[in-house]
Amino acid sequence: MRIIVIGAGKVGYALAEHLIAEEHDVIVIDKDDDVISRCSGSLDALCLKGNGANAKILLEAGVEKANIVIASTENDETNMLACLISKRLGAQYTIARIRDPEFNESQMLLQNELGIDVAINPERATALEISRLLRYPFAGSIESFAKGQVEMVEFKAAQQDPFVGIPIKIISSEVPSMPRVLYAVIERNNQVIIPDGDFIIQAGDRVFVSADMLKITDYFRFLGRNRQKIRSVMVLGGGRISYYLSRLIIPMGIHVTLFEINPEKARTLSELLPKVDVILGDGTDEDLIEEQGLSQMDAFISLSNRDEENLISGMHASRCGVPKVIVKNSRMSHLDILSDLGLDSVISPQFITCSTILRYVRARENSNGTKIERLYRLVDGKAEAMEFIAMKGDAYIGIPLKDLVIRQGMLVAVIVRQGKVIVPFGNDHIEAGDHVVIIACESGVSDLNEVIYR
Amino acid sequence: MNRKLIIRILGAILCIEAAAMIPSLVISFIHRDGDTAALALSLAACAFLGCPMLCFVKTDKNVHLRLKEGFIITALGWILLSLFGALPFLFSGVLPRFEDAFFEAVSGFTTTGASVVTEFEGFPRGVMFWRASTHWVGGMGVLVLTLALLPKLTGRSAHLVKAESPGPSLSKLVPKTGATAKILYTIYFALTLAEFVTLMLLGLNPYDAAIHAMATAGTGGFSNYGASVAAFSSVPVEMAVAFFMFLFGINFALYYRFFIGEHFKAFFKDEEFRWYLAIAVSAILAVSLINLSFYQGDFWTSLRYSVFTICSTMSTTGFVVLDYSVWPAASLMIVVLIMFVGSCAGSTAGGIKVIRINMIAKLSRRNIRATGQPKKMEVIRIDGKAVEEGILSQVAQFALMYVALWLLGAFIMSFDGRYDLLTHLTASLTCISNVGPGLGAVGPAYNFAGYGILAKVTGAFLMLFGRLELLPMFILFTRSAWHKY
Repeated sequence: MRIIVIGAGKVGYALAEHLIAEEHDVIVIDKDDDVISRCSGSLDALCLKGNGANAKILLEAGVEKANIVIASTENDETNMLACLISKRLGAQYTIARIRDPEFNESQMLLQNELGIDVAINPERATALEISRLLRYPFAGSIESFAKGQVEMVEFKAAQQDPFVGIPIKIISSEVPSMPRVLYAVIERNNQVIIPDGDFIIQAGDRVFVSADMLKITDYFRFLGRNRQKIRSVMVLGGGRISYYLSRLIIPMGIHVTLFEINPEKARTLSELLPKVDVILGDGTDEDLIEEQGLSQMDAFISLSNRDEENLISGMHASRCGVPKVIVKNSRMSHLDILSDLGLDSVISPQFITCSTILRYVRARENSNGTKIERLYRLVDGKAEAMEFIAMKGDAYIGIPLKDLVIRQGMLVAVIVRQGKVIVPFGNDHIEAGDHVVIIACESGVSDLNEVIYR
Repeated sequence: MNRKLIIRILGAILCIEAAAMIPSLVISFIHRDGDTAALALSLAACAFLGCPMLCFVKTDKNVHLRLKEGFIITALGWILLSLFGALPFLFSGVLPRFEDAFFEAVSGFTTTGASVVTEFEGFPRGVMFWRASTHWVGGMGVLVLTLALLPKLTGRSAHLVKAESPGPSLSKLVPKTGATAKILYTIYFALTLAEFVTLMLLGLNPYDAAIHAMATAGTGGFSNYGASVAAFSSVPVEMAVAFFMFLFGINFALYYRFFIGEHFKAFFKDEEFRWYLAIAVSAILAVSLINLSFYQGDFWTSLRYSVFTICSTMSTTGFVVLDYSVWPAASLMIVVLIMFVGSCAGSTAGGIKVIRINMIAKLSRRNIRATGQPKKMEVIRIDGKAVEEGILSQVAQFALMYVALWLLGAFIMSFDGRYDLLTHLTASLTCISNVGPGLGAVGPAYNFAGYGILAKVTGAFLMLFGRLELLPMFILFTRSAWHKY
């Protein structure tokens, strides 16, 4: 596809890099000379200097032939204008990064009137991600598919877990009371494995299990993980993410203590969020946060604007015994190093924005061409989940899965039949019209018939 | 330094060179001039060294080519290409001395067209065809060809094209570098074919037409006749060749824009093309008027020779239809100045390039104005767009280095002792600008055969410096280029 990326900041650059790796024709527009010369050296893309909201530059970039225009400059107005102009000039699909909460309130109107097909708010997306992590505090990451009906949760297997040390296919007969979930992906020593029935999970493996929301909750209750339910959270920094996060988690019955150093901001926050304890002060001050009961907190979330501060505070909280520590890191590189530091969850708004946009792009791509309905990247892109629709007349229809051949290194993760989620086992079968989620290490499959056959 | 990747890309270059020898080998089969063994041996040498380098060296997919490595590959690749390109001359015995064969190969690949061949009678036709093929391969660039054929060879391939393509900044036609390379070669091939057909229609035999079409396309200038294009003694052939020489001096991006629907607007919208046309037309008119008395007032004869000579020199091809060294000094001065200018960026020609001359002219005008109004901010524009100050200073430095290297080359050549100053100065200039003929003892009627080994090697390196626009070659001589990191 021909994709125009406007603004090559952290998000724009990473997006362009990913899109090029996926063989798209990418055109980058940025107004900064240095950015453009860096991009033209390291990206296999056409790099143009200019304002992305300028029709002349957009025409030079061939906007009339563009399949997707992604506006990711730091300026909301520029992004909206760029999308509006692109759409009028003939671009098929536009994605804008819009972060101002004021604009969010009139989002629907803006989207309809300005021709923006998708508006991404990085701060809100980040807050959503954090709130999901708080819901499953033991989880490293949570992914949802099939319109949110199915969830895939990553956690670390412990020695006392009943499924450790036995082959996957006999888990349900050995431990019949445990809710049945699908062991979709195992990550061991940075290697991603799609397990088959004979695979034995060991303690320390990162396990990705998937099932519908209810079953997942039951499963973790059975494992005894959900005892660490989060009731109190300390948040450092009173930015937009903190605001969105507070609004999301207060209804979940979580108490929020928020530190903000700027008096005016602190005042506004306490005005907007009456249930939050807003503390005026420096969140990196050890005495102050201890005074507010840091070591009794269930979670500590560091969301200041400085990465270094976030990391140090996070490590400090971790050492004080806070069970769940989440820190924000705006650099997208070095994420793997950070997980070595003992911080369970490092989130980067840029990464989240980038992967959200990529998901839309892939969905868009799949709607023309292959039969994949949707595509998700798992485990930092080392595995993929593909959502297909089973077609009438395909060879696998109606036959129990145990009688079919499933391609090596792939797994039928979920079948969604008329809104009902089935975690498939040997006796289940696929019917025409089912949404089937396949998990695979390799990409490059474009048809369900290539995955399952007789 | 990423040695494995460098080795692989150099291997790819050798494989392409081996493939490029196939047509010459076929021709030698047909004509049986006794050069089949020499060509087969050279082809085998390239293939046996190149294929293992390309196929058996494993490179990590995640390792990117660095800018420095792009330059080093370009410089080393061109030297390697010339060393192996010299083999057919050496093995067939037409140029038994290594420095002669190397000079001829470098002159071919850099599309200079300066030769050391003195005897054209009985020159084996397969090797002669190879001599012209080197122009075609070198014209658009062997790394560009590598990327057109193997776009997945390396990430960040823009570094390679940047190092090889002439001009102050790289202009891509489409987002992907590999696809850009393919489009460039398609245009290049189509134009070459057009000239081949035109020359055939004008009565040349297929062999002569192919050799002259390839030599024009690369703006090289190797002919299979000692008298060059004059051997056909046909005005239509001369004018056709002159026209195509002019065409190959134009930025190929303009042809692309022409074909995607901008038509002739693409050319006249481009400032560099307008300057190129203006310089060419005014030089032609000036020379034909200056030469009017030399040709006893025969304007048409004067114009005919002037058109061919200026097109040939400006496109840095170096075909000749007459010994113009007997022209009045003012005409010769124009020819020498045109040698400096060369043609457009993004073409197959050499020289400083019209776009740089354009920028330098505007820069000088700004500097002159600034003496009176030092506080005035003035942006330099090309095609109505502001040019980055960084590029302007690079261009100015490039011109300075170009002149310095030209003088240094002449200085080293002058130790040869055989010829006069004019010869050394123009020999050095014709090498660095990739033109071909100079003046004096290397004039249109003579060639470099009379020079000694020192001058020939100097000339060969000047050609490489000129073709790769100085920096990739200079970087080879810096210590940091060879650091491990």
